[in-house]
Amino acid sequence: MYLSKTKARNIFIGVCITPAILLFVIFMVIPTIDVFRMSLYSWGGFSNQKQFVGFDNFKFLWNDMDFIQSFQNSILLIVIVALVTLVVAVFFAAILTKERIIGGNFFRVIFYIPNILSIVVIAGIFSAVYAPSNGLLNSVFAVLNLDFWQQKWLGNQQIVIYSVAGALVWQAIGYYMVMYMSSMASIPASYYEAASLEGASPFRQFFDITLPLIWNNIRTTLTFYIISTVNLSFLLVTAMTGGGPDGSTEVFLSYMYEQAYGNSTYGYGMAIGVVVFLFSFALAAIISHITKRDVLEY
Amino acid sequence: MNIKKLLFVLAMLSIVIALGACSDTEDANTSEADDGEKVLKVAALESAYGKEMWHQIAESYEALNDGVKVELTIEKNLEQVIRPKMQAGEFPDVLLLATNRPEAMTETMIKANGLEKINDVFEMTIPGEDQTVNEKLLEGFTDTLATNPYADGDTYLAPMFYSPTGLFNNAGLFKGKGWEVPTTWDEMWKLGEKAKEEGIALFTYPTTGYFDTFVGSLMYAVGGSDFFNAAMQYEDGIWETKEAEKVLKTIEKLAEYTHPNTVANANPKDFTKNQQLILNNEALFMPNGTWVVGEMKEAPRADNFEWGITAIPAFEEGGDRYAFTFFEQMWIPAKAENKETAKDFIAYMYSDEAAQIFLDSGAVQPIKGLTDKLEGQKQTFYSIYEDESVLPAMGTFASTKPVPGANISDVLYGQIDSVMSGELTYKDWQASIEEVSDRLRSAMK
Repeated sequence: MYLSKTKARNIFIGVCITPAILLFVIFMVIPTIDVFRMSLYSWGGFSNQKQFVGFDNFKFLWNDMDFIQSFQNSILLIVIVALVTLVVAVFFAAILTKERIIGGNFFRVIFYIPNILSIVVIAGIFSAVYAPSNGLLNSVFAVLNLDFWQQKWLGNQQIVIYSVAGALVWQAIGYYMVMYMSSMASIPASYYEAASLEGASPFRQFFDITLPLIWNNIRTTLTFYIISTVNLSFLLVTAMTGGGPDGSTEVFLSYMYEQAYGNSTYGYGMAIGVVVFLFSFALAAIISHITKRDVLEY
Repeated sequence: MNIKKLLFVLAMLSIVIALGACSDTEDANTSEADDGEKVLKVAALESAYGKEMWHQIAESYEALNDGVKVELTIEKNLEQVIRPKMQAGEFPDVLLLATNRPEAMTETMIKANGLEKINDVFEMTIPGEDQTVNEKLLEGFTDTLATNPYADGDTYLAPMFYSPTGLFNNAGLFKGKGWEVPTTWDEMWKLGEKAKEEGIALFTYPTTGYFDTFVGSLMYAVGGSDFFNAAMQYEDGIWETKEAEKVLKTIEKLAEYTHPNTVANANPKDFTKNQQLILNNEALFMPNGTWVVGEMKEAPRADNFEWGITAIPAFEEGGDRYAFTFFEQMWIPAKAENKETAKDFIAYMYSDEAAQIFLDSGAVQPIKGLTDKLEGQKQTFYSIYEDESVLPAMGTFASTKPVPGANISDVLYGQIDSVMSGELTYKDWQASIEEVSDRLRSAMK
């Protein structure tokens, strides 16, 4: 049998990509569809008695104040972590790329280290930092005579979610900083030289050259922030506060886990999973849309 | 054959190969070993007592039963290990997994009617002995909702290792200061003021989960078993009664005497910091069980530290005081393959031989005369009920169908953090408990 070059090429491509597509379908698409299906059932997780309840699980969600609280916490974490991480990571990336700082490489490594630590280790470190009587943070305030700033960082329900956010930001900054640094390093030095000759200040150079040229990178990382914060906040909250005190640090994935396993309402947990999936998808799409700019090439 | 058909055939072929590779060539549910022995699958939580005792139990049971091989799964994260297998239909024959665990696997199985009825186990003659299980068991352990979750007289869970719970303290500190251990709440508040003057808090707690036995003891003390059982079965308006109000108000008042760092440390990772407050003489009492001694054995402590335990104080002079009895449970999944052998195995758990193996590892079962074999500190703890004014309390909430978003433990115990930090008044707390109780009542079987 004679095969044309095009057919042979297509067959080769087909043979190569079919296993990958199959794995994707079996381990990603089918389970995701199954989550949607299970969200329509009342089921505890073990028995064969699955009762079809339609959209009842979603109606419950609408009136479940604990879920709403966990949803608010999640959004708060996403916004705080994304904004603070973005600003600080861009700032440090600009400093370390543009300025000749003694020990610049050392700082790069130091900033990046939190990213390679396990989230459980980070939970342990920050529990020590936030310890009420002998923790680093309160001790520093004591040394600086700022006793009125001392707090029960993990005990005060009004601020504990910000304490969790602090740990997440600390963990994320190094990674994003390195990403921005690589983008900034690839901007031709001649742009800055020309701007400098025309009298542009470093501040002006940053906003008119650096930021527009790394904008695509920022857009991509913003989407990544959302996905990773949704997942990491669950892990950190589970390891650091267990969702407490009294649910004040519960995020929607920890609430989903609790409902699916702790409260024997697996179907309800899957309904929360569906909402989280749709929310994350929608938020990523919105952010991608509102941050869209003309791509500048160089 | 065009390219689309070819790709389709390739895709189908890959699916078949992938599924073939995923399937197990051996029958996963086999219950017979290669040599024809019957395999009894036993899964148990590895708790503070360790796993070695289970290997000894397996050996001693095999020695007594020719042709039976005990296959053990002993893990600290048992739920995570066995859940996928159980969801795939591969159930152990026997499980030692108590209720009130965060993953609530036992409760899920109860709610799904997934437990085998084991009334007959208690009438069985213990293998190798001539007494029945009932004849050796201490009274009361099979009469509660912790063993009979549907309150219909049938038993589904066998009581295993038990521990008296109460208020743990530093007996050495009390001796040194010349302070009496309070027996009433009035005395408790007076001691709280006295301790406050010396910079010591009256109270702390590891996490709010430890209030399950504390609140239970208060409920028994204020209204006896009738009131307790009514609350456990979500009786209408029970949380609006004066008795319930007294329980909740007592905890609200306790907030004034609770160590200020308690709520900050009351999470699954830092709870030992609260326990450390007792060892450091920074707080006087905490609700706990006898396992705390092993849990904190490596922890630094104040000079002359000596563990003490006392019952929850009475509401009036001469009133009954209660020390809740916490116990773990053993059960058989309804889908277990070797139910008869599993029942025989559970009966064997109450044999002198098994009890001694467990006892050597520190685990005490509710078997008559067993506490006589205890020594030292353990003997002190288990003799808490020898005080005539101290009574044992047992039980837990009745099982209901699963109700999304309604968890009585979360609202009754979890909200105590908010009460302690002053975020929640007892009135609001009371209202939310009653609301969840109402929702669960309508879901009772």
